[in-house]
Amino acid sequence: MKLNRLPAAAAAAAIFATGALADGHGWSLKKAAEPYAGTTVDVVFLLRPGYEAIEAMLPAFEEETGININIIKHPYENALGEQVRDFVAGGDLDIALIDLVWIGNFAENEWILPIDEFTSNEALVDPDLDIDDFFPLVLNAFGGWNGTIYGLPFDNYSGLLFYNTCILEEAGFDGPPQTWQELKDVYGPALTKDGKHAFALQSKRNETQSADSFARVIWPFGGSFLDENFRSNLLSEESQAGLMFRQDLMQYMPDGIVAYDHAETVNAFAQGDVAMITEWSAFYSTVVSPETSKVADCVAIAPEPTGPAGRKPALGGFSLAVAAQADDDERAAAWLFIQWATSKANAGEYLERGGVPARVSAYADPALAETFKFIPALVESWQDGVPEFRPRFAEWPEITEIVQEWGSKIMLGEVSTEEGARILGERMEAVLEEAGYYSGDKPLAQ
Amino acid sequence: MRGKVSRKTIFAFIGPAVIGLALVGIAPLAYAIWTSLHFFNLTKLRKVKFIGLDNYGSVLSDPVFWEAMGRTFFLLGTALPLQIAFGLCISLVLHQPGLSLLKSLTRLSLVLPMATTYAVVGLLGQVMFNQKFGVVNQLLGGAGINWIGDPTNAFAMIIFWDVWQWTPFVALVLLAGLTMVPGEVEEAARLETKKKWIVLRHVQLPFLVPGLVAILILRTADTLKLFDMVFTLTRGGPGASTEFISLMIQRVGFRGFDQGLASAQAIILLIITIVLAQVYIRVFYKEV
Repeated sequence: MKLNRLPAAAAAAAIFATGALADGHGWSLKKAAEPYAGTTVDVVFLLRPGYEAIEAMLPAFEEETGININIIKHPYENALGEQVRDFVAGGDLDIALIDLVWIGNFAENEWILPIDEFTSNEALVDPDLDIDDFFPLVLNAFGGWNGTIYGLPFDNYSGLLFYNTCILEEAGFDGPPQTWQELKDVYGPALTKDGKHAFALQSKRNETQSADSFARVIWPFGGSFLDENFRSNLLSEESQAGLMFRQDLMQYMPDGIVAYDHAETVNAFAQGDVAMITEWSAFYSTVVSPETSKVADCVAIAPEPTGPAGRKPALGGFSLAVAAQADDDERAAAWLFIQWATSKANAGEYLERGGVPARVSAYADPALAETFKFIPALVESWQDGVPEFRPRFAEWPEITEIVQEWGSKIMLGEVSTEEGARILGERMEAVLEEAGYYSGDKPLAQ
Repeated sequence: MRGKVSRKTIFAFIGPAVIGLALVGIAPLAYAIWTSLHFFNLTKLRKVKFIGLDNYGSVLSDPVFWEAMGRTFFLLGTALPLQIAFGLCISLVLHQPGLSLLKSLTRLSLVLPMATTYAVVGLLGQVMFNQKFGVVNQLLGGAGINWIGDPTNAFAMIIFWDVWQWTPFVALVLLAGLTMVPGEVEEAARLETKKKWIVLRHVQLPFLVPGLVAILILRTADTLKLFDMVFTLTRGGPGASTEFISLMIQRVGFRGFDQGLASAQAIILLIITIVLAQVYIRVFYKEV
């Protein structure tokens, strides 16, 4: 289906699916929303393709329900602070946009409501909600905390290996590296020449350093942030192997990689300056569009390489949950929006418009992989990811700052991997001790 | 005359300013002091409790705080002398007789860097100092210098932008000082000696001292609270190489959400600023 024909056709299909078809169960979106027509729901969105996709679909929802969705846009780096301040001050937000590492924080502060409050209400729950249709890993990691589901996965990512087939073929490779070791030892020397580099690992000192760089190298080598007693595991042989691997790999990355955020990394790949990157699935549309990529015809995608501990791809993404501070009408309206935005019926259009749904059924058609080359790798990555790729407890905002500082210092060679990991571990444990994990005040949940 | 002004009139004129100052200055300061004496984390509001001076103890014994403070004073110690040197040269040139139209245009253009928003300067810096596409490396013959990703270069870049933005301010303040020198005194001095340095040292400099003290105080305070430009340009990185004290306070208070600790850091910074201002006034003013 051509994208320009999408709005009317897909909107009609979605409304039909969520409304008319559901009428068979005695439920329709229109009827469910009737008591809440005119209600305004405030929600924070990011400046990313998945949000633009749902924003473009929004008129159909607003027309059907009479509910107004007020979108407040923030760059990722501001989104947590803005929401925390709003919830602390009892502000206007009716929906929480939750990165998977914020879920413990939001849940423990009771800023968000469990979905049970709504799924137990027949007037509000879509009979086609089908919670089991979400990838279990994604649902639990993005929306679940301590055995309770709070949010439904909305903007969903997995780390993928984007590679330039033209550069690889020219160098004599007929496919991407299967292991991290192979990437460094075989592809690295062969593809780093004439001002071009084999690989770029975004490592800027913000959440990118923690999530995209630091965590990405410790897990495949068998390491982790914490051991089972919540003590630092960064000095373990496996974690150290991962961190030292990153130091070795830097010789095949562009200079100043510690200043590379997503934009610089994706741009370097899109300009043909870098042969391979490990990036979020959300950047697919950027690298395959001729408007934003010089290498659009050469892009291929594979799951991230494996390490000695197997394939442990980066896991990231967001869920939407109803905010506890909303009044009853706003809560109901917010739930209807979340349910609609993440529904099976809308997943196809969301995908077509640049979003990445977390619905198993959305990827059932094998033909989709022809249009969206990232789908097979994405689906494979979501089978066996690590939910605690970054710990999801309430203390993560403090710990990520420590990881960002010392992870960057390690990369810059200001401290050795061992010394950096030791200091990082000590500081991380100090935060956890203060929080009460070692005294038994808090359960060891991450 | 003074006795004829009623209290009501005095209050009517001064009162609004005092109330405004209390609302926007004193009240937040009092709240920051209160916060600094508590464990006060925005994400753990159920655990708020009075902890006395613990936050201050943590700050004073935290090497990261002192490293950031050292970095900040290193920036001040390198950028300010350059600003004063360049600013003095510009002001002396503009103080020369003749070429009035050109000098007027120069004075006007000097305002532009100061009028540029800090955050915009940072964003401009990101583009201009981009290793591959930036105009700076192009001007250097495609040098390919890694400005933003190298700790030393990133620091040098911050110094460059600070000097670029605030040298005009120094120049204009010193130019104002030079215009205060009585014409006949300056003329007499020039008849006595042809050495410009002698005229500058013994005739013009005494008139520049009040301006220099103001520059010292204002630029010290500005550097200690320098945030927007660095945040948009390097975000304190790479590593911690450009994490100045205000960036650190913002990180602790708004990204780690520890408002108690951040308040203690801010109060200590305030005390340092006040002490430095007093030192500048006492040391330099006495020499005049």
